[in-house]
Amino acid sequence: MTQNGKQNEKIIVHADDDTADIIPGFLKNRHRDVETLEDALQNNDYESIGILGHSMKGMGGGYGFDAITDIGMSLEQAAEEKDTGEIRRQAEVLSNYLERVEVRYE
Amino acid sequence: MSILIVDDSPDARLLLEAILKRAGHKDIYLADSARSALDYLGKDNLKGADGSIELILMDVTMPDMNGIEACRRIKEISHFRDVPVIMVSANTNLDDLQTAFAAGAVDYIRKPPNKVELLARVRSALRLKHEMDRRRIRERELLEVTRQLTAANEELERISSLDGLTGIPNRRYFEKIFHKEWRRAVRQAEPLSLIMSDIDHFKYYNDQYGHLAGDDCLRMIAKTINNTPRRPGDFVARYGGEEFVTVLPNTGINGAVVVAEAMRSSVEALEIEHAVSPVGAWVTISSGVADIFHVLVLEPDELISAADKALYLAKREGRNRLEVVGIITKDVEKTGCYRREGDLNRDSKR
Repeated sequence: MTQNGKQNEKIIVHADDDTADIIPGFLKNRHRDVETLEDALQNNDYESIGILGHSMKGMGGGYGFDAITDIGMSLEQAAEEKDTGEIRRQAEVLSNYLERVEVRYE
Repeated sequence: MSILIVDDSPDARLLLEAILKRAGHKDIYLADSARSALDYLGKDNLKGADGSIELILMDVTMPDMNGIEACRRIKEISHFRDVPVIMVSANTNLDDLQTAFAAGAVDYIRKPPNKVELLARVRSALRLKHEMDRRRIRERELLEVTRQLTAANEELERISSLDGLTGIPNRRYFEKIFHKEWRRAVRQAEPLSLIMSDIDHFKYYNDQYGHLAGDDCLRMIAKTINNTPRRPGDFVARYGGEEFVTVLPNTGINGAVVVAEAMRSSVEALEIEHAVSPVGAWVTISSGVADIFHVLVLEPDELISAADKALYLAKREGRNRLEVVGIITKDVEKTGCYRREGDLNRDSKR
């Protein structure tokens, strides 16, 4: 993510055709998560951040987005440690990922 | 076959539902919290009772009430005891696993769920459920068959205890009851009396009126004799052809004489015509009465012999009457009987 040249490249995710109907909704919810994260950060609401991270960790990979599971895991841990910097960084990673991800069903 | 998914995350519910539906599981119910799952199951117990909820996928980490507690509560409802619960969670530490299994969960799926693993575990849990259902149906059938068998045995026992012609207990049943009463009398040091009754000149009656009339006569007399003793425990049986026996527990000779006399007069009062009887115009009976009291060394058969002896005496003395024989074993030799004529005239308080 730190290499500027790659920041705008598409990230191709191959997802199970079974989940084609629900993936757009899932991704939309993650966009909302970015906003929720920003609000929670302003209010120092680490509990909500932890719950959100836990939820992303639990479902990302199930939908085919392992990266979201990883982000969720980092968020959950950062919330526990009240590591505002890390939370802000993961929110950016998530936002960036959502901009670049492209799903191909198979 | 339907599956209940309990998860607070809408994404999780949607994903699990999508995977299961694609795999052919048509009826999926969704609950967004442990509470709403319990409400759903509790409000309509029939959903579990008629077997429509066959599997529950339960998220572990949920606000308010977690999945392990929910599992424990569901398992407390008898309808759902056999409904498998698979826990679903991102946290897989050993303590959680142990608590989940202790709460009644059958399996554990890690989040994020892997489609192949999820479907395999769901399939095996459902197979287990169906196996249990089949077994329970078989058990129910077995119980029903056992119940029918017991009922049939009781009916057989009842039929085999009764005399086919007269409907009163038969000799086989008498032997059982008499020995039981004998043991009770000895154990509780209570008196026990026996009346042996015989229809007077029944052979002549049969010869005169035919065997069908003879059967009717037997039935009427059996009914009359059977209805005479009134105490609980009193027992009348057909002993042989035209012979009847009466067991009177906790009854001394005086009481027994009253009963025997009541039988005799009731039979006479039936006024069943007996034109060829040397005794009288109606069918009559003769009875022998015997009792034991505080006699520990006798055998049950000796009381029967004594009553038989008394009956013999009653016949010899002219019939349509009763005679009494008492048994003592200390002063007379063991088989000895003596006649207690005097007792016949004694008042009885039975």
